[in-house]
Amino acid sequence: MADLVKITVDGKEIEVEAGTPVIDAAIDNGTYIPHFCHHSRLEPVGLCRMCLVELETPRGMVLTPSCTLPASEGQVIHTKTPVVDKAQEGVLEFLLINHPLDCPVCDKGGECPLQDQTLGYGPGESRFVEEKRHFEKPVPVSDLVLLDRERCILCSRCVRFAEEVAGDPLIEITARGNQAHIETFPDEPFSSYFSGNTVQICPVGALTATAYRFRARPWDLRKVESTCPHCTAGEAIEIDASQNQVLRFNGIDADATNQGWLSDKCRFGFEFIGSAERLTVPLVRDGDGFRESTWAEALDLVAERLGAVIESRGGEAVAGFGGARGTNEDAYAFSKFMRAVVGSNHIDARMDDAPAAELLAAVQPRATIGDLDTASTILLWGPDLKEEAGTLYLRVRQAVQKRGAKLVVVHPRRTGLDDRATWKFTYRPGTGFGTLEAFASGAGDFAEARKALDEGPVVAVVGLTGMTEDPTLATAVAAFAAGLPDAKILPVARRSNTFGALDMGCAPGLLPGRVSFGDADAVAAFEAAFGAVPDHAGLDTSGMLEGLANGDLAAAVLVGADPVRDVPDGALARRALEAADFVVALDLFLTDSSSLADVVLPAEGFAEKEGTFTNLEGRVSKVNRIVAGPGQTQPDWSILEEIARRMGRPMGFDSAETVAEEIATVAPAYADLRWRDVERKKPEGVLLDGGWYTPKAPAGPDVDADMVLHLARTLYDDGVAMRQSLSLHHLAPGGVAYLHPGDAERLGVTEGDQVVVVGSAGEATLPVRFDPSLPAGVVYVPFNQAGVPSLGAGAAVEVRSA
Amino acid sequence: MTTTTYPQVLTRRMTEHPADSHTLARYEATGGYQQARAAMGMTREQLVETVKESGLIGRGGAGFSAGMKWSFLAPPRPSYLVVNGDESEPGTFKDRQLLERDPHQMIEGIIIASVANEVHEAFIYIRGEYPKPARRVQHAIDEAYAAGYLGDGIFGSDYQLDVTVHLGGGAYICGEETALINSLEGRRGEPRLKPPYFPAAKGLYMLPTIVNNVETVSNLPHILEMGADAYKALGHDKDTGTFLFSVSGHVKRPGNYELPHGITWRELIFDIAGGMLDGRELKAWIPGGASAPWFVPEEHLDMPITKDDCGQAGSMLGSGAVIVMDDSTCMVKAAERVVRFFAHESCGQCTPCREGTTWMQQILARIEEGHGRAVDLDLLLDVSDNISPGLAWPPKMTTICPLGPSAVSPVTSLAKYFREEVEAHVTEGRCPLG
Amino acid sequence: MSWSPETVARAERIMQRYPERRSAVMPLLYLSMLEDGYLTDDGMREVAEWTGLTPVQVKSVASFYGMFKLRYTGKYLVSVCTSISCMLRGADDVMAAVEDEAGVPHGETDDDGVIAVEHVECIGACGGAPAVQVNYELIEGITPEQARDLVRWLREEQPDKIVADDLQERFGGTRSFDWAIRETEGAVGPFPAFGPYGTVAEEDRS
Repeated sequence: MADLVKITVDGKEIEVEAGTPVIDAAIDNGTYIPHFCHHSRLEPVGLCRMCLVELETPRGMVLTPSCTLPASEGQVIHTKTPVVDKAQEGVLEFLLINHPLDCPVCDKGGECPLQDQTLGYGPGESRFVEEKRHFEKPVPVSDLVLLDRERCILCSRCVRFAEEVAGDPLIEITARGNQAHIETFPDEPFSSYFSGNTVQICPVGALTATAYRFRARPWDLRKVESTCPHCTAGEAIEIDASQNQVLRFNGIDADATNQGWLSDKCRFGFEFIGSAERLTVPLVRDGDGFRESTWAEALDLVAERLGAVIESRGGEAVAGFGGARGTNEDAYAFSKFMRAVVGSNHIDARMDDAPAAELLAAVQPRATIGDLDTASTILLWGPDLKEEAGTLYLRVRQAVQKRGAKLVVVHPRRTGLDDRATWKFTYRPGTGFGTLEAFASGAGDFAEARKALDEGPVVAVVGLTGMTEDPTLATAVAAFAAGLPDAKILPVARRSNTFGALDMGCAPGLLPGRVSFGDADAVAAFEAAFGAVPDHAGLDTSGMLEGLANGDLAAAVLVGADPVRDVPDGALARRALEAADFVVALDLFLTDSSSLADVVLPAEGFAEKEGTFTNLEGRVSKVNRIVAGPGQTQPDWSILEEIARRMGRPMGFDSAETVAEEIATVAPAYADLRWRDVERKKPEGVLLDGGWYTPKAPAGPDVDADMVLHLARTLYDDGVAMRQSLSLHHLAPGGVAYLHPGDAERLGVTEGDQVVVVGSAGEATLPVRFDPSLPAGVVYVPFNQAGVPSLGAGAAVEVRSA
Repeated sequence: MTTTTYPQVLTRRMTEHPADSHTLARYEATGGYQQARAAMGMTREQLVETVKESGLIGRGGAGFSAGMKWSFLAPPRPSYLVVNGDESEPGTFKDRQLLERDPHQMIEGIIIASVANEVHEAFIYIRGEYPKPARRVQHAIDEAYAAGYLGDGIFGSDYQLDVTVHLGGGAYICGEETALINSLEGRRGEPRLKPPYFPAAKGLYMLPTIVNNVETVSNLPHILEMGADAYKALGHDKDTGTFLFSVSGHVKRPGNYELPHGITWRELIFDIAGGMLDGRELKAWIPGGASAPWFVPEEHLDMPITKDDCGQAGSMLGSGAVIVMDDSTCMVKAAERVVRFFAHESCGQCTPCREGTTWMQQILARIEEGHGRAVDLDLLLDVSDNISPGLAWPPKMTTICPLGPSAVSPVTSLAKYFREEVEAHVTEGRCPLG
Repeated sequence: MSWSPETVARAERIMQRYPERRSAVMPLLYLSMLEDGYLTDDGMREVAEWTGLTPVQVKSVASFYGMFKLRYTGKYLVSVCTSISCMLRGADDVMAAVEDEAGVPHGETDDDGVIAVEHVECIGACGGAPAVQVNYELIEGITPEQARDLVRWLREEQPDKIVADDLQERFGGTRSFDWAIRETEGAVGPFPAFGPYGTVAEEDRS
């Protein structure tokens, strides 16, 4: 932390960190200084000249922008002198002379800094009698963002965001002087995964979002703070709604997590909430289809059929999938339902696509996102963060770009951070254990990178690089990192509230509050709370699917789970659900999985219910309700409670808060944590500790095959939330097989040709695209794309010309 | 008409040997490269001290001591030398002459400046509209490499120095040293913030960088040759050495003149530049480049030409470009033309300059066309005040660099000396001069 | 992509002159103009590849400067200085004469694609005002009549190379300073002729 200095602003002495821009120091201490180009998360540039102040110097008062003035001891600043007032009035007049007077039809009207500051500081009438500047308007700069150049005041926030923060310099100021304007290159739109942030930070209505344009007036919006439902990084968001419709997500500047930014998936992926496809009444199977039913009939049927399975085959014949799409309270209710009502430990929130539950929930020493800001070296051995954890990607990027942290990236192909990596190592999927061994020993090319890791502080970002990788590789990498002199581990996994669900015990080997089945005392405590708990760990998702498919298990409960789309072997998931005697699904939509159920119960979704989420650091934050769920939807916890009562084993919940109260009472890592405590710490939430798991290094065999498959997720895919968010769904890359040009030549194919990829569980015919970043002998197929059959998790594949 | 002859330093070779002053052979035959050779045996401190002693003022127009500029150069190395040959201000054409006619003089200066500042990589930034001067310089550089005066082991030492000519792309603002550095980095020629981007500390590629003008560098061999004291004695008080004046406009003999400071404006305009075109009277002149506030004969003709005198009279000597206007000149049109230049050359970063200069040009054009309103001159002054608060000289600025405030000078000059002429445009609905 | 092997080799040499490759943007833009006659989108993409920038970053730089022409500007770009010093000596009449003779206004290229006309700010020839440039080769002390002759001559002769000293002799008058050195290098298109950039006639390339 930098030294504190005292500066005087309008006669008031304030104490700030040396080097803080004076504008931020003044505003944080209650003296507002108007501004347009300044943004506290971007480098100061001093362009708009609105934030001019007078600084006392030995040569007299000097007029200077306060955004580019770093605070230093003894500065005396005046923000409201006649000279300052005149200059600011002048700047506003200059900005307005060419600004159209279309505020009544401008999306920004009502929340527009230019409009607000004109009211506060501007001239009463225009002295400009010349003709205003004209540009074609509006022009799309990407699929999601439109540009109105006449409204633009050339503050360059969008340009700076694209280059400084997102690392996608695809939007620029072109021309000069009075003709300067914002532009993208022909056929190269601003297709950044983060483009929507420019709409949020545009200080006028020059950049607008297609998903929001003309939908509402700011003064009609109701707002509530919440947590992003898509990623696991726990981004703080504001939800805007009007007339019971969610219309917009905006990022909130939570220093610990997203610092105001959102990926476009998080920002525009709200559309699924108001989808016309939402389930609104319970459905009961009727031949090949469903018929609508009453809640009473549907719940009775579930209780009866589940009860029958339990009676005939035992509770352990029932499998529970999901928990990651709801709140911690929903997940806790599901966890308790499976253990205490059904009597099964077969429960998993992971869809066979994540590292070990202990690693995700309880690894130690565990890093925070903020630890990236002080790390001297960052080791990233896991997913391409740009695709799977957008705001975490931005944070790593910032650590390298702004602060010069060293970055080691290990991944089977190029990643979004390669251009910032100090060292980048590419390896074939299936050879991770051998690669790790060589890396750990510092052999050959690894020497320098390995050496950098001996000097702390190091943050190791660890997860699965792809779905054909042995999940225990992540454990091995974490074990290596845990053995470094000064390193912490930040585990990553995808999908919404996965970390919260695991913390709530939606994992075969964990009970709520990160309790292991190996901890006999803690398990005993749960027996008291739950009535009974099975005495051994259960099956994970792939085990449950195999059990259902081969008849070892008989029934399944899906809570916001779509294994047919989400697990690598979708065909197995389909066989499993088809083979099951009884399947009940709590869902928002009829998905590929819930449409195979016997009973489908319409659940409330995000923004329709209150509760908490837990992010990948173990940070708990609130999610809040702003609209009512459609039709007869109910929250998951309530549906599960109703079923439990009908099965004669009520769980004792009558509100989400009573669930939260029980969590605070029985879940060790969440002891005494109540909603009000979380609210009090908003927007950042409460960081929990309680890690106990020190990863041990498992060894695994490397896969030896001519061709291996790299199967990895992309930001946009065919998952149900994306499918129901129309602004985003078409941005998914679709089915494609990426090959190294050398492999393509060997196979006798070129770009655009079709190849057949025969995986461990299915085959797909896909068009070829070249990817020179791939190692030889690797085919990369983006996972979960529309129309692409699932290939399975096996690394060894066959590829042939179609 | 009596014309006193003054000693020529920078322009002597090209005057005496007009046919081949640009060649290495002529340059060496007239004593060239002896000072660079001598500099190889001097310490950095000796060289910097000599230049400081000489009182050499940078000739780019900002009026700052070259030796002081050098002494600010901060570690770490590497450091760069950038020679500013982006001469673009209306009325200025002297660097073009130095580049075309005596390029080795500048190259020798570059060697001296590089050795003095431990520079091994120098760039000469020449405006894109000067291809012929650039070609001359490149030929001279090629000759110097061939002779072993540039490249590895110059003058038989182990000192390496490489020099690269970089052509501009047509942007006046790149004459501003931080804009020039941005341009040389392959960026838009937008001035950087000072602080923190003082070139001596964070210049080219964020490394310490000296930016010196062509004329400044060309002076260096002469300072070493004659010694600091003799060089000082050529000048007048604080304005040491000779100075190149570029005289243009309504005079009989426009051109570049190498003169000492301290002569009067009358002498410059009427003796040296041949006086006004036949039958015409002097109406006003711009004393130091297009950004300088104007002078008029009633007040300034017998004033000595020094930096201080010009400053005290509310203007500046700047780059020494003198633009002379006779009584046929419409002052509104003249002002519009100067303001148009700055509007056209505004980089567009700062709101007041981007919007204000164009607005001022539009108002002036409207007045000139006979559509002015009675309020327009006061409006012009108020718009000017919003770019340059207080309308003082040297200007206060609401902008990053002085380009915007430069556009204010014609307007304040109009208001100060030619208000009646402006008002006549408004009341008559046309230019009173016809 | 589309650059000639000679241009590629020249680009490589230029890149070596700079400590950071971004610095080569402006020289490479001139190379690109030599290849295509003006700055095309593909040309900017090519420069982006060389310099590690995105195409729009290249365009942002190119469009800042007046001499990187983003559309075709004829075989001969006639630039008339109308800044203050030239204006005082009759530049507006020269401009009017050029526009009239070429048949196109400022910023346009004639229908045959031979001559483009523009008025420009100061080109550093104030002592020889009024001045014009043809493909950046300078003519000083030009009268409106001489300017008409110049345009006619360009259209009729269509010389392969524009040499300043020849033009000055044919169409010019008073110069900013004495001129006793004749030069044979000259421009081969609407971009500055400079040996290291290869933007000169083949026999003059260094």
